[in-house]
Amino acid sequence: MAAKQNSGNNKLAMTILKGRTFIVLIILLIFFSITADNFMSAGALLTVAKHVALYGILAIGMTYVIITGGIDLSVGSVAGLAGMIAGGLIQEGLTLKMFGVTLYFSVPMIVLITVLLGALMGMINGLVITKFNVAPFIATLGTMYIWRGFANIRSNGATFSELAGSEGLGNTGFEVFGRNLAGTAVPCGVLILALIAVAAGLVLKKTPFGWHVLSIGGNEKASKLSGIKVDRVKIWVYAFSGFCSAVVGIIATSQLVSATPKTGESWEMNAIAASVLGGTSMAGGVGTIGGTIVGAFVIGVINDGMTMCGVTEFWQKIIRGLVIIIAVIIDQVQRNLQAKMALQARNENK
Amino acid sequence: MKGFKKVLAMLLAVSMVAAMVMGCSSSSGDAEEEKTEESTEAEAPAEEEESGSDEVLKGGGSNIIYVITPSVSNPAFKAEADTATAKAKELGYEVKAASHDDDPTKQTELFDSAIADKAAAIICDNAGADATVEAVKKARDAGIPTFLIDREINAEGVAISQIVANNYQGAKAIAEKFVEAMGEKGKYVELLGKESDTNAGVRSSAFHEVVDQYPDMEMVAQQTANWEKTEAYDKMEAMLQANPDIEGVMCGNDTMLEGVCAALQAAGKKLPVIGVDGSDEAAALIKSGDATGTALQQFAVIAETAVVQADKYLKEGSTGADEKQLIDCIAITSENVDKLSGFVFTE
Repeated sequence: MAAKQNSGNNKLAMTILKGRTFIVLIILLIFFSITADNFMSAGALLTVAKHVALYGILAIGMTYVIITGGIDLSVGSVAGLAGMIAGGLIQEGLTLKMFGVTLYFSVPMIVLITVLLGALMGMINGLVITKFNVAPFIATLGTMYIWRGFANIRSNGATFSELAGSEGLGNTGFEVFGRNLAGTAVPCGVLILALIAVAAGLVLKKTPFGWHVLSIGGNEKASKLSGIKVDRVKIWVYAFSGFCSAVVGIIATSQLVSATPKTGESWEMNAIAASVLGGTSMAGGVGTIGGTIVGAFVIGVINDGMTMCGVTEFWQKIIRGLVIIIAVIIDQVQRNLQAKMALQARNENK
Repeated sequence: MKGFKKVLAMLLAVSMVAAMVMGCSSSSGDAEEEKTEESTEAEAPAEEEESGSDEVLKGGGSNIIYVITPSVSNPAFKAEADTATAKAKELGYEVKAASHDDDPTKQTELFDSAIADKAAAIICDNAGADATVEAVKKARDAGIPTFLIDREINAEGVAISQIVANNYQGAKAIAEKFVEAMGEKGKYVELLGKESDTNAGVRSSAFHEVVDQYPDMEMVAQQTANWEKTEAYDKMEAMLQANPDIEGVMCGNDTMLEGVCAALQAAGKKLPVIGVDGSDEAAALIKSGDATGTALQQFAVIAETAVVQADKYLKEGSTGADEKQLIDCIAITSENVDKLSGFVFTE
C-alpha cells in the first residue's frame, strides 16, 4: 500500500516535471501581467511572438541537431550571411563579370536562392562533421567565423540599406516578411514559425527520417548496425538547421529593411538555450519541437517582459542565465526520478 | 586511429593554406616597406633637439601608419578608417588598417603587431578608456607615437593627441531640437548605448541637462540597446507596448535611431526621434521625415586632423596643438540635412 502511495506521488511529480517549462511560462506570464501594465494585451503578446519567431526558428533547427548528439554554433552567422546575400541581391543584383551584365531577381527568387544557399552552408557543416570526423562543436565553431567573415566581405563591412527594391527591376516587396500579414495583426514571422514548427514536429514524430534522427542520438553505433545511413541523416539535419538560419536571416533583414553583417551575432546562444529549456538533452536522443517552442517563448517573455518593466540589461542577463541553469537542474531531477520509477515498476512486477 | 589521421591531415592542410596566405601578405608588406623607408629616416633626426622637456618619438623606423578602429560594419568607423587611410596615403605613407571589434585584448595584439612592424605612427579609435592605456604606453616605449581619435583614454601624456568629437556639445545641441519638436511637453523614452562606453554616459547626461529643464517632459522608460539596430528595434517595440502614448525617442547613436524608426514604421507611427553620429542612413530618415535630427560627429574631420598631426609630429617633433582637442558637432535637421554626406558636412 505504502509503495503504491509512493508511486502515485512519483507519478504526480513526473507530470509536473514534464510540463515544467510550460508551468514556468504560465508563472512568467502571470508575473509580468501584474508588474508590467500593458503586458497582457494581444498587441504585446504578438510583439513577444514576433521576437520569439527569430530565435524560435533557429531553435527548431538546433533541436534536430542537438537530438543527433551534435551542436550548431554557426546558425547566427548563417543568418547574418543569408541576410547579406538577400540584401545584396536586391540592392546590387548579381553581376556576371564575364558577360558584363547585372541580373536582378524577383523577391520570391531571392528568397529561394537565399534559403538554398543557407541549406548548402548547413550541408557543409554536416559534410565536415561526418566525412572528416570533426567534432560538431569544432566544425561549426569554424564555420561560424567563416560565414561571419563572408558576411562582412560581401559589403566590405557596410550596410545594405535600400531594400525597398524598385518597380522597374521588379524586385519590390521584400519588407513583407518583417511586417504583419496583410489585413491582420499577425506578424509574418510568427506564421513562418508556426509552419516550420508544425512540419518539423510531424517529421520528427511520424516519419522514418524523424525516428532515425532520434535513434542516432540515442545510440549511434546501434543505429548504424541496424542499417540507418547515419552520415546521410546527419548531413540533412545540418542542412535543415542551415535552412532555418537562412529563413531567420531573411525575416530579420526584412524587419529592419536593411541588411548589416552584424545580424545574428550570438543568436546561437538563444537558440541553444530555447532547445535546452524545452527539454532537449545535450547528450542527444531526447527532444521535442513543442518543448523547444515553449522554451523559446520563456526566453522571449523574459526579454520583453523585463524591458517593459524597465529592468536594466544587466539584470536581464543574470535572470536569463539563472533560468537556464535551473531548467537543466530540474531536467536532471526528472531523469533520476524516471530511473527510480522504472526500477520500482520492475520490482513490483517481480 | 584512422579518424585521428584524417584530422591530422586536415590540420596540416589548413596550416599550409594559412602559411601560404600569411606568407603572401607579409612579403608584399616587406617590399613596400623597403621602398619607402628612406624618406622617414631622412627627415626624423633634424629637429629632435629643440623639442624641450618631452621626449620626441621618432616612430618605429618604417613608413607605415597603423589605423586601428572598431568594427567597420558601423558606417561611422568605416568613414573614419577610410578617411584616415586616404589622407595618410596622400601624405606618402603606407597604411595598414585593422579593426579591434571593441575587444581590448585584440587591440593589444594589434598594437603589438604595429610595434613588430616598426610602425611610424598609430591612429587609434580605442576599445576602452582604461584598457587602452597600457597598449599606448607600450607603443610609446617602442618610440611609436599614438594619435587617439573619437574616444579618449583615462591618462594624459601617453598619447600625443586625443582628438574627439564634442559629444557633450553635440548631444545638447540636438536635444534642443528634440524639445522643440516635442513642443516642450510629453512622454518620451531613451535608448542608451553600451554602458561600458564613456560616450554613452556623456551623451545621455547632456540630453538630460537640456530636457530635464522642461517640467512637462516626462521620461517613461530608459533601456540600453548596446548601440545595436536589432536590439533597438526589439526594445522599442516592447516599450511601445508598455507605453502606447510615447511621443518621442532619444537615441544614443544613429544605429539605434534606425532600429527605432523601423519599429515606429511597423507600428504606423511618426514621432520625434533624435540620434547622434550623423550617418547617411539617419540623414535619409531625416529627409523622409521619420527622424527629427542627429548630431553630426565630424568623424572624417577628426580622422583627417589626426593624420595631419601625425605627419607634422613625425616631421617637426610637435603637433603644435594641445593633447586633448575637441571638434564641435553639428546639429543636423531637415533644414540642413542636404549638406551632409558620408559624415562630411559641406557649407
